[in-house]
Amino acid sequence: MKFREIVESPCGIRYLFDELRLQSGYARKVLLDREMMTDAAQIDAAYASLRGYIGLVKTDRRHVEDIRFRLQGLREITGTLSSLADGATLDEIELFEIKHMAMLAETLEVGKDMQRVVDILDPDGLGIGTFYLYDSYSVELRQLRAAVELDPDDESLREQLLNEEDRLKKAISDKLRPYAAELRRTLQALADLDISIAMALLYQDEGLSLPVSGTATEIRGMFHPEVRAILRSKGREYQPVDFDFAKGIPATVIGANMGGKTVAMKTVCMLQYLYQFGFPLPAAEAVMTPFDDIRFCIGDEQSERTGLSSFAAEMQRIDRAIAAVDAGGRVLVLVDEPARTTNPVEGTALVAALLERLGNEPNLALILTTHYTVEHAGQCWQVRGLVPGSKGRTMDYRLVKTTSHEVPHEALHIARELGIDARWIDLADTIINRQYE
Amino acid sequence: MPFIGEILKHRSVSIVGLAKNAGKTECLNYIIRRLPTDYFNVAVTSIGIDGETTDQVTGTAKPEITVREGMFFATSEKHFRQKRPLSELYDVSEENTALGRVVTAKALQEGKVLLSGPSSAVAMKRWMDSVQGFGIDLILVDGALSRLSTASPAVSEAMVLSTGAALSANVRDLVNKTAFLVELIGLPLYMGPEPELRISSFASPEPALLKQHRVVEVEGALTDRLLQVARQALDDDEFSLVVGDFTKIFCSQELYRAYVRRGGRLFVRMKSQLLAVCVNPVAPNGIVLDSDTLCRSLSERIGLPVYDIVKNDYEV
Repeated sequence: MKFREIVESPCGIRYLFDELRLQSGYARKVLLDREMMTDAAQIDAAYASLRGYIGLVKTDRRHVEDIRFRLQGLREITGTLSSLADGATLDEIELFEIKHMAMLAETLEVGKDMQRVVDILDPDGLGIGTFYLYDSYSVELRQLRAAVELDPDDESLREQLLNEEDRLKKAISDKLRPYAAELRRTLQALADLDISIAMALLYQDEGLSLPVSGTATEIRGMFHPEVRAILRSKGREYQPVDFDFAKGIPATVIGANMGGKTVAMKTVCMLQYLYQFGFPLPAAEAVMTPFDDIRFCIGDEQSERTGLSSFAAEMQRIDRAIAAVDAGGRVLVLVDEPARTTNPVEGTALVAALLERLGNEPNLALILTTHYTVEHAGQCWQVRGLVPGSKGRTMDYRLVKTTSHEVPHEALHIARELGIDARWIDLADTIINRQYE
Repeated sequence: MPFIGEILKHRSVSIVGLAKNAGKTECLNYIIRRLPTDYFNVAVTSIGIDGETTDQVTGTAKPEITVREGMFFATSEKHFRQKRPLSELYDVSEENTALGRVVTAKALQEGKVLLSGPSSAVAMKRWMDSVQGFGIDLILVDGALSRLSTASPAVSEAMVLSTGAALSANVRDLVNKTAFLVELIGLPLYMGPEPELRISSFASPEPALLKQHRVVEVEGALTDRLLQVARQALDDDEFSLVVGDFTKIFCSQELYRAYVRRGGRLFVRMKSQLLAVCVNPVAPNGIVLDSDTLCRSLSERIGLPVYDIVKNDYEV
């Protein structure tokens, strides 16, 4: 799975991607083409490297800004490097691109042998990043150029000059060819440098943290960066949430409407992706564990636009998630309010059955939010909900573990707080009381 | 050497032709030949696809741009590979045009180039900013037909207008059309209080809405449709429209005059400086107007000096 494939995920990871202050379009492309890591050791190594850049950002911001300024000159020259590797003769533009990149790498101390590449393209040792076929490449070139300048209309002289230029371009290309593979590695390393610095800055700007890898997931103080930004723009603060889960123990999240269940699901999903792509996390601290497959089942507009009813789209999404679980491997499945668009009788049955269907998978971490009362052997979480006695709409968004699987009846309460037509809500209250009598 | 001194006072100047074959390229070459190059770095580029050896519309020969030794130029990869004097490469942009990326180079000897630079006003501005590091003192932009946007003061500080028989074979008509553009370039800057109402060029406001305000800001283009509504909204009260700059005005002269006659006024947020008007009395279809008559009547009408640089070939 590439980053490109999940960047538009409804969990909202796009926000942090957009906040990354990458200096080059090429680094952006490299990041989008990165494969998701599924090996904890590999992820830990990525974080160890990132920790170094975070330290650099803290201690030597001036140096970091210097590097960032230089990285603005990073260009994608993979096409040119492929031509070089394939034995082509490069023209001046392509030779310029290679010189430009090699000099950039040399000043940033990235890659090996870059000075040798620069030497080939800077025969006069001028140390400047521009390029043309320098007179000093051959005596003949210099003489022919002088002759053509004296007699610009001599066709034969012009042709000799062109031939000499072609010969030199081929000779220079041949000299560069042994470095083709190293140039490619260096180009990649420059993009990686750009990405690492951008992530370190993101860590600082957004107040993020680096996780450690473990066998189960334990998150303290997680937040959804985009929602937090929206709240901040309205002068409000985001209430961080703690959450934990493990493979083999299904979890449900219940609680009031507007209690942040969906945002919590999105945040968990985003954290999981961020972890497996080596990003710093929007949480105070976290122990994370990698999965081979991550499935986030949430209603979105996109499937509705394709003409499927919301129920059909949702059922198909969950169906694909079940297939992924059956296929084996470590899978994280997050389902936001399954079967919410159907009647409560069948809805409750579908949710209970889903928990039973997937309840005994040792490699599956299943988390779902619901408004239905469903008994199961796993872990049940509840949104703390409306703060008692508070005037207005004070909501405690924190999640707490609970043994009761009975969903709280707060909908009417919240509707009243919202100032919805009182006669309607009172009637609903009366009907409920009548049912319980 | 008319108007070269004026050009040297600015950091960026665009040369805009009122029609294809109005003599814009001759005008650019005229300027390039006369600019000082010692201790003065000049960069020249063109917006979009331009600088073809033959004009793609009419097939008439079109002179190439001659760059002088030490002068920077920016053109597409394709045209750079096709024709250039010995040049030192300074930059290859990330932005793509129809003819490839934009290459910035310095000519190491005098020679002809085909110019095709960044393809939009926004890309042009970005390119201009990106080459500041090369120590460039003056940027000349060859503006293309229907791409007046490069002349926007948001892109270049000043402009030279080139007009000619290609626009109209009738001297009166030619003078009239040219004078209208010059008039728009000279529209006064808006200095009043912030307008209460802003409308987009896509909006279709009711005249009644405009009637409630005395100053309305137009975001984007001022079209005939919008101006028509504004004209209908005019009554005895003072009424003004404010646009970004003259390149945002896409109105017919007739309608503009009708609007002004009813007491409407038009202001701009940013103003371009018009340095000179050049004329080319020869049209691609063979019509040749009398150069002196043309220069005189245009100059009288717009109150600015007008030059026929081909005929007079002012001293270098």
